[in-house]
Amino acid sequence: MSANLKKQFFQPYTGEKARISRAYDYLILVLALFLFIGSFHLHFALTVGDWDFWIDWKDRQWWPLVTPLMGITFPAAVQMVMWEKFRLPLGATLCVAALSIGTWIARIFAYHYWNFFPINMVLPSTMLPSALVLDVILMLSNSLTVTAILGGSAFALLFYPSNWPIIGMFHEPVQYANGQLTVADLFGFQYIRTGMPEYLRIIERGTLRTYGQYATPLSAFCSALLCTLMYTLWWYIGKWFATVRYLTKI
Amino acid sequence: MATTSEQLPSLLTNDSKVPWYLEDLPKYLKGFGILTVIYISLRLYQGEFAVSTGLDSSEPAFETYWMRLFNIELVVITLFVTGMWGYLWVSRDRNLDKLAPREEIRRYFTLTMWISIYTFAVYWAGSYFAEQDNSWHQVAIRDTPFTANHIIEFYFNFPLYVILGGSAWLYARTRLPLYAKGISLPLTLAVFGPFMILVSVGFNEWGHTFWFREEFFAAPIHWGFVIGVWFALGVGGILLQGVTRLIELLDELEDNP
Repeated sequence: MSANLKKQFFQPYTGEKARISRAYDYLILVLALFLFIGSFHLHFALTVGDWDFWIDWKDRQWWPLVTPLMGITFPAAVQMVMWEKFRLPLGATLCVAALSIGTWIARIFAYHYWNFFPINMVLPSTMLPSALVLDVILMLSNSLTVTAILGGSAFALLFYPSNWPIIGMFHEPVQYANGQLTVADLFGFQYIRTGMPEYLRIIERGTLRTYGQYATPLSAFCSALLCTLMYTLWWYIGKWFATVRYLTKI
Repeated sequence: MATTSEQLPSLLTNDSKVPWYLEDLPKYLKGFGILTVIYISLRLYQGEFAVSTGLDSSEPAFETYWMRLFNIELVVITLFVTGMWGYLWVSRDRNLDKLAPREEIRRYFTLTMWISIYTFAVYWAGSYFAEQDNSWHQVAIRDTPFTANHIIEFYFNFPLYVILGGSAWLYARTRLPLYAKGISLPLTLAVFGPFMILVSVGFNEWGHTFWFREEFFAAPIHWGFVIGVWFALGVGGILLQGVTRLIELLDELEDNP
């Protein structure tokens, strides 16, 4: 399944042709930036959604599973085009950077300035380290199989440690109304969300807490397994969408 | 952004300082500017009036500030789609078989600008105002499908990017030979897929009739939007079609310093 490098050599453009080519690159850059902020962010918001929106949803069971699993989709599809067709090893980083720009703008202007949620309550997670590693593994291996297994796993496994410096302080325990909860939970109780009654908050279900400190790595490894499969699936989805066919009728 | 072959002689004497292949750059930048002003104005309007008049749809003020805006949007959208698509079709190039390589290159640049404007509208609809919908529904209990954010997101932003995507499709179909001879599958996917997001508003609102108070963004009633936006990946195919043709056209040009 490795990508095949065709042995074709091109004479670089010079003069006006080089300027035309460069101008086209810049137009594509602007186009791609807004395309991936808009499309990847919508996909991400409606699949990962609340696990990314709220600090009290960033749990040890669902958040490390759902976020990388839904987050590796567009990067895989875009890597297929960028690497296979243009030899640019930056598809994943481009997508994730675009997503970060979109989420940060929304959290600041839509959550904080419009509806006064504290910015610490709505911090977006980051997948930038995961995306960088995914791009590097594809570039070095030039192999879909290796990238799916090693890159997909790394993408998931790096997620929780990358985010721990951001969320760690909100997992400090506090005593509240004769019970123990985290600072993150306290945010959730203090800032009322009319659309989110407590029964909707899907975190730490079942008997997870009996697993103690092993819950997070278990979720991360489960996510790693699924990410290898999801990466491959989305590579082929990207390939299918990158068709150059012209039809006679629709 | 809609030059036809009949207008080419006048273009050759253009004194503009912009290179010939970027002739439509000023219109492109104006497009960005106009859209930015519109979206930021709508956001400021929400900031000013949503909390004071947009929480209870049975209040007379809601009718004044929000349903009036909704009606204005419908009129603007209808006029814009009629004018823009009508203009692109009526001014179509009827001599595409005589198109010079230089002019075809310029039109590929203009098509890319059209798609870029389309993706800019997709940004506001798919990223900013989409996530803002969650924020609003966490502070307001919805009592109508026409909430202070839905009126802007579903009934202005969604139709607007559909119109701009349709404009890009029509521009290609009426002004570029390859797109006129055959229907580009990736361009069609990239325009018609996200169009289905607008249609999915029906599924979403139907779902919320069962579940009107809660707002859970990852819920299946939102997945229609998700599948629609995957089709934006068709832009990869458009890029490949464009680059392949541009390489052929550049080979036909003389080398200039």
